Amino acid sequence: MKTRARLPRLVATGATLALALSLSACGDGNGGASSDDGKIHVLVYGDASNKIEQQIVDTFNKTSDVKAVLDTIPGADYQTKLQTIINTPQAPDIFYNWGGGSIKPFVKADLLLPLDDFIKKDPALKDKFLPSVFNSAVVDGKPYGIPMRGTQPVLLFHNKKVLEDAGVQPPKTWDELLAAVGKLKDAGVTPIALGGGDVWPTQMWFQYLYDRIAGPELFAKAIGGDKSAWESADSKKALDMISELVDSGAFGKNYDSVKYTNGGSVQLVASGKAGFELMGSWYYSQQLTDHKEFAEKDLGYTAFPTVEGGKGDPGNVAGNPNNYYSVMKKTKHPEAAAEFLKLMYSDEFVKAHLDIGNLPTTTNTDKFIDGSATPEYNRFQYDLVSDAPNFQLSWDQAYPQKASSDLHKAIQQFFNGQLDTDGFIKAMQALPTE
Amino acid sequence: MTTHLTSARPAAGSRKESRRRPPAPSTTTVGRPSFAWAVPAALFFALFAIVPLIMVAVLSFMSWDGISSPEFVGTDNWSRLVDDPVMLKSIWLTLLLTVLGVVLQTPLSILLGVWAAGHQRNRAVLSVIYFIPLLLSATAVSVLWRALLDPNFGIPAEATWLFGDGNLFGEQTTAIGVLAFVSTWQFTPFHTLIYQGAARAVPQVLYQAAEIDGAGRYRQFFHITLPQLRTSMITSMILMIVGGLTTFETVLILTQGGPGTDTTISAYYMYDKAFKSFDYGIGSAIALALVVAATIISLIVVRVSGYDKMRSSMEGVS
Repeated sequence: MKTRARLPRLVATGATLALALSLSACGDGNGGASSDDGKIHVLVYGDASNKIEQQIVDTFNKTSDVKAVLDTIPGADYQTKLQTIINTPQAPDIFYNWGGGSIKPFVKADLLLPLDDFIKKDPALKDKFLPSVFNSAVVDGKPYGIPMRGTQPVLLFHNKKVLEDAGVQPPKTWDELLAAVGKLKDAGVTPIALGGGDVWPTQMWFQYLYDRIAGPELFAKAIGGDKSAWESADSKKALDMISELVDSGAFGKNYDSVKYTNGGSVQLVASGKAGFELMGSWYYSQQLTDHKEFAEKDLGYTAFPTVEGGKGDPGNVAGNPNNYYSVMKKTKHPEAAAEFLKLMYSDEFVKAHLDIGNLPTTTNTDKFIDGSATPEYNRFQYDLVSDAPNFQLSWDQAYPQKASSDLHKAIQQFFNGQLDTDGFIKAMQALPTE
Repeated sequence: MTTHLTSARPAAGSRKESRRRPPAPSTTTVGRPSFAWAVPAALFFALFAIVPLIMVAVLSFMSWDGISSPEFVGTDNWSRLVDDPVMLKSIWLTLLLTVLGVVLQTPLSILLGVWAAGHQRNRAVLSVIYFIPLLLSATAVSVLWRALLDPNFGIPAEATWLFGDGNLFGEQTTAIGVLAFVSTWQFTPFHTLIYQGAARAVPQVLYQAAEIDGAGRYRQFFHITLPQLRTSMITSMILMIVGGLTTFETVLILTQGGPGTDTTISAYYMYDKAFKSFDYGIGSAIALALVVAATIISLIVVRVSGYDKMRSSMEGVS
């Protein structure tokens, strides 16, 4: 058991955080918009992409009088810390986000700058990006974000060797997938690897099936506040199909104890113990890092299968269209911010991202793909995304952040049988939409 | 400076004590620090514990998402909490985990502590080895066990006769079992340390007398060692209970309150509400309820055990 009382410490930490932040603002480079130091602060999610963000900042600083400073927050804490400082003097000028519901509360609190004026002065800020991606950061008809990393569609990955041994072709339709599940089971492997312990990988099955069966309208309606959408026949059909898949043993029995984030499900596929895994496009570079030989030789990928009789366009994709830079309303240097954002469609930006395996969503990406490290994979993704009539943002990012915990609970509970169809529908209807 | 402070003390202190018992011999107050010594610590405590606690109490009557300005909502958060089935479940789970912790760790740490207090060969080396878990942070321990218990590549994959399909984190019973086990694994060394110190302090004359009377090892353990460990036992149990009520990191990393809400203990529920759902009002209400509950339970343990009346286990011995 614990040797000290954690709770008071936690509470104390929270209360003193504001204090500490205001103190630190005086000293180092973590200042913010209101304490105008003649700089613009760019706050990003800390990970491998930071070196490119730093490169872009350096490029910007060569020509700009107002210098930019890159501040990073380690990934897991990003959302919480952003929410803590966004309405304080320590708020950044420009910050990374997921568009959609992740910025809606900030828009509502009137903290963000609509980018209409920027775009009016430089239409390329809109035209140079794929429309389906750009639109994910439009809130109430106004653009609030400029795409700033790579697109992350969710794809159905597979182990070529495992499929071959079981006599299975990569499935194009849902029925083929079900048949493949049966054959893989007979071959003694887990048909589909799933990191259910993280819950968000489980959510990917819901996103795609709802989109294929009901089309993007159902979710758009639900997130718009019309909660009757969850009771519709299409919704129930999607749930039935999910139950059917789970009950058939497609994911094995211990998926809730497996994690993606500790490499568990990744290893399942790489070691040949599982056939498929549904995952975001970052899966490729993850496999390359963890299991190089497998990734280069036996890692296959296809789009999510079509569902017969479904209303959704089979070309639709789900995942994270991209990440975005949004601008704070109270920034002292909007002109500098606008200039900075223009770099997001520059050739330098596109090339740098392609080199580390990110696929930017600008219209000029196309001409650089063939010269990139993994041209085939990048081409597949790029065509998929640019041809997609709709790009469904991950549910937990489309909903306001405050809904995501309850959303994950409902998904996990329906998947493992703790909630029935009605229970799931009720749980989804109870989620706050704004 | 030091001499000045200490010499100022006896006047007030001894007068107060004299009401309860005969004046203590002057030797007990000599060299004891005055209250002034406690001022820095008291200030720190006030700044980092009392002030935030008051802020949390105020916040529990407000609705706040961390962005907009807080709104006063009266007892809204509290009535929501009373009607919340997850809250009820979390209290039950917290108590269960606390009790499991005490039940599992107490006998283990007494046995290990008494053993470690002896003079066997290799004792020092072995003691060092099983104190290692204590040196690791709870986070590291949790990450470690999460990896070790992976159903496909961890221990369960090798020992299927014991773990079946290895779905330890997907079922409530086994998930709670894992949480209790990991806490026990990490914190038993700490309590062992307490018992080791206490067991070494047991006067050897007692054992010598018992031996003369013909008592064997087991009788000596049950009739001398165990009764002599009573005060330490209560100290250790209070620490376990308070620690159990506020367990957090193990749940955060091992199960994230799942599957569903099956391991959502109160402290995790507080985090979930405040920092994941951005509902700081209700999070504060849970936090305050936890503080109150932990205080009351600790007080009850102190009273029931008679800890507050105990003077010293050395009394009447020397």
